[in-house]
Amino acid sequence: MKALMSLGALIGVAGLLLLGGMVLDVVPSTYIRLVEGYMPIQMLLEVACYVIGFTGLSYTLNAMGMAIPRFWQGIGFWVFFLLYLKYRMYPPIPFSVRAMYGTVSLVAVFMWVSASEEDWQKFKQPIMNVLDAQTGGNRILRYLYLVLLPILIGGFSFNAMMPKSEEPIELRTVHPAPPASTKVHGKTYTLQTSQNPYRVNPEGKYDQEFSNANIVEQGMGRLMKPNANPWDDKNQGYLKYVREGGEIFFQNCHFCHGDNLNGRGLHAFAFNPIPANFTDPGTIAQLQETFIFWRVSKGGIGLPNEGFPWASVMPPWEQHLTVDEIWKVVLFEYWHTGYYPRTWD
Amino acid sequence: MMDSITQKAGIIAAAAFGVVLVSSAGYSSVSAQGLPEGFKKGDLSPAPSAEMIEAGKRVYFTKCVWCHGVDGAGDGPGADRLWPRPRNFNQGTFKIRHTASGELPLFDAKKPIAGQNDLFETVTHGLPGSAMPPWEGILSEEQRLQVLSFVTTELVKDRKFTDKQSETQTILQLAELKPKPATDESKKRGAELIVEKKCVECHGMEGRGDGNAFNLKDDWGFSIQPANWHKCWNFRGSRQDPYNVANIFRTFSTGVNGTPMPSFADNTTVDERWDIANFVSSLCERDPLGNPLPIDPLTDKPKINFVIPSDLVEGEIPAEIEHEAWQKAPKRLVAMGGQITHKPRNFVNRIDDIWVRSLYNDKYIVYLLEWDDRTKSVAEGKLPWAPTQVNIDVKEQDPKTGEEGSIAMKQNNYAVYNDAIAIETAVKWKELPAPIKPRYLFGTNDQYPMDIVKWEADGSLRAFKGTGWDKDFEERDNYEEAMKLVKSEWKNGRWYVMIQRPVGNKKDQDYDEDTFFEVGQYIPTVFFAWDGHNGDAGRKMAVSAFYYTFMNPPVPQETYIYPVVIAVGVVLLEGWVLTRRANRKKGKTL
Repeated sequence: MKALMSLGALIGVAGLLLLGGMVLDVVPSTYIRLVEGYMPIQMLLEVACYVIGFTGLSYTLNAMGMAIPRFWQGIGFWVFFLLYLKYRMYPPIPFSVRAMYGTVSLVAVFMWVSASEEDWQKFKQPIMNVLDAQTGGNRILRYLYLVLLPILIGGFSFNAMMPKSEEPIELRTVHPAPPASTKVHGKTYTLQTSQNPYRVNPEGKYDQEFSNANIVEQGMGRLMKPNANPWDDKNQGYLKYVREGGEIFFQNCHFCHGDNLNGRGLHAFAFNPIPANFTDPGTIAQLQETFIFWRVSKGGIGLPNEGFPWASVMPPWEQHLTVDEIWKVVLFEYWHTGYYPRTWD
Repeated sequence: MMDSITQKAGIIAAAAFGVVLVSSAGYSSVSAQGLPEGFKKGDLSPAPSAEMIEAGKRVYFTKCVWCHGVDGAGDGPGADRLWPRPRNFNQGTFKIRHTASGELPLFDAKKPIAGQNDLFETVTHGLPGSAMPPWEGILSEEQRLQVLSFVTTELVKDRKFTDKQSETQTILQLAELKPKPATDESKKRGAELIVEKKCVECHGMEGRGDGNAFNLKDDWGFSIQPANWHKCWNFRGSRQDPYNVANIFRTFSTGVNGTPMPSFADNTTVDERWDIANFVSSLCERDPLGNPLPIDPLTDKPKINFVIPSDLVEGEIPAEIEHEAWQKAPKRLVAMGGQITHKPRNFVNRIDDIWVRSLYNDKYIVYLLEWDDRTKSVAEGKLPWAPTQVNIDVKEQDPKTGEEGSIAMKQNNYAVYNDAIAIETAVKWKELPAPIKPRYLFGTNDQYPMDIVKWEADGSLRAFKGTGWDKDFEERDNYEEAMKLVKSEWKNGRWYVMIQRPVGNKKDQDYDEDTFFEVGQYIPTVFFAWDGHNGDAGRKMAVSAFYYTFMNPPVPQETYIYPVVIAVGVVLLEGWVLTRRANRKKGKTL
């Protein structure tokens, strides 16, 4: 038990040092890489690690006779969480969202310190001590509070009332509900029943199993399977079309969506909303192939209002590509990211 | 034995002393062994293993082949629409190195160490300003070494990394050379040296890459442009650390193989090179306090703020940029991408950012736009289309593979049109509930149009109404008379344009086609830019995302009153809490 707790304490100290480094800008917040697409779960895991670390730390300090009073534990944890949100989270989240999380965590801290009457008494005690001002130190502290509080609160409200220009927060639906059907180049495609005509085996038959067996391997690098090179001239069916789709992708799409399909192309830095990251498990991996076909064909201008059609620079690709080319690009995107398109059943 | 060692040490020390003496005297920069100062002879690295090469082939054909091509000749399917073009590996010509000019770069498949493995660092950090992305975090270290093993052995065809007969390695000892502090004196000397060493001939008097920008070609005959020193985040060799002078020092010492940029190692001392590097680095854009701009690690470009604040001035808005009001006005970087939504698309936009400032008074709002453009372009004669025409016949780049049709081949051979800039603001923006706006590209329709104010290098300033991406512009009645072109000047690779327009009121302006600016409101604003030497015209242009013009309101009286009231309230509250606590305690003790 003791060893376990010491280990926890070690984690806690190491974590705090790291965070401290990030706050002071000694350690870049990207020092421990946030894996693309797994950011939220990674954050939760990290915070869980911190909580374990703090438990260990508090236990160890207790055993060493240097226990931190409950009052400071509560405040300490809350401050830690605020700092974590501000300095660790990348990409940074706007202040209003942080304020929301901050409030929620404050409530959580209060619930924790007031879990039992005894705990609550312990927590309140330092406050009461200052109010009563029985000792010299507390008296000084009380006067400090009496003077500083009005100044601080007045200052804050002055700051809040000063006219400011902050970027308005605009939340956009990234995957709006698709229509039942879409008309591209004069032909109507029903999203529920349409299939990618190029997802075929060497015999030319629609074959999802065959294509799924030939996509790149999941794992670092997402490299092609050793015997499934789309640049092999002998390819028939799926892999041949993957290559053709790739050629179209690298003539048209990579400018925004990037060489690695992660939304970091040449022009990406200039645009808002930023281009979709296909390697993120929250984009094409969550969607049917026909949804992608619809989005590619109709582009930003074809989005419903919740998708911000006025701001998206995604071209309506029916203006530039044939239907066949669009299907091939979709095929390539799934191949290169190693995801299976979602199916209706 | 002992003697010979001491003897050797003595000779080395003497030689080192000699080098220091000679170089500090400034007579020569060549060391005793005939090497340029700061360089040492190195050994060729051992060949990578067959397994590494085979594994690298798999990486190459998944990730790289799309631009660099099956044979590594830089002719993959993506190549023709890129400028700069992807590297042709066949000749073994690599840009960013620690080795002397003309030599192969450092590469060792077993040593992924910064400063000792040029190709590994290039793949890791990418080449900013080109389409080559950083592969760190996407490919593992091992995979990066594998793919380089494949490239250096199978795709570099004309040279051999292990051939002791033909290859040498003269390595810049960057780790041992301590950077010189960037003092004013050092920068001043650097400023003199860039003229003396003729850097300005290509890079321009202010270093905006506007010197001999026109006729420069790389080893393959493709058009190429000198770097703009004010945008260090676009330096190919910046290694995702753009404000680090060591990177400039390295590029200056080793040259950029395959391009007209030579190595200056033979005719400058290390000390002089640091002065030059310090000066060049000092030119890179910084914030008003002189600190480096914060760089967004996701894009490797400066971070963007989408609000363009406009400050209030009493009376006339000054026309001189040097005026205090303009100097104090917040400066915002507007990032520009190519217009690739509708035909004709612009895959290579030469204008990639604009600096915007704004001031307003009770009648007018003025935008000051500054952007780097290596060439001043004014169309000769009359353009073959009306200013209002949108659907004009400018060809976009064919995607065909084959170098003859590529952008890099055609660049600088386009018919010259006008340089131009446009500010597009939403009309009737108040009627659209946030965040809804008219479409960024010339508005949505007649009901939700855009107010477009366009300046062209022929000196014209016109006002249009945009009602859709494919609709020709409509002229706006008598708005043009109400506007004023305060300034337009091209100097050393940079345009300075100041446009004044009415804030808007129902009496003088038309509510249905002019934007009405209101204090304290977020006015959706988009910027367009055309480079006349890039064949930009019509929709072939650079575009920004939606920004917001925000006219800073004067500070209202209440801002000074309420906080005081609140503070007094807090004092009263404190008194109440304290008396209550005291009373309760009394009650308890009683």
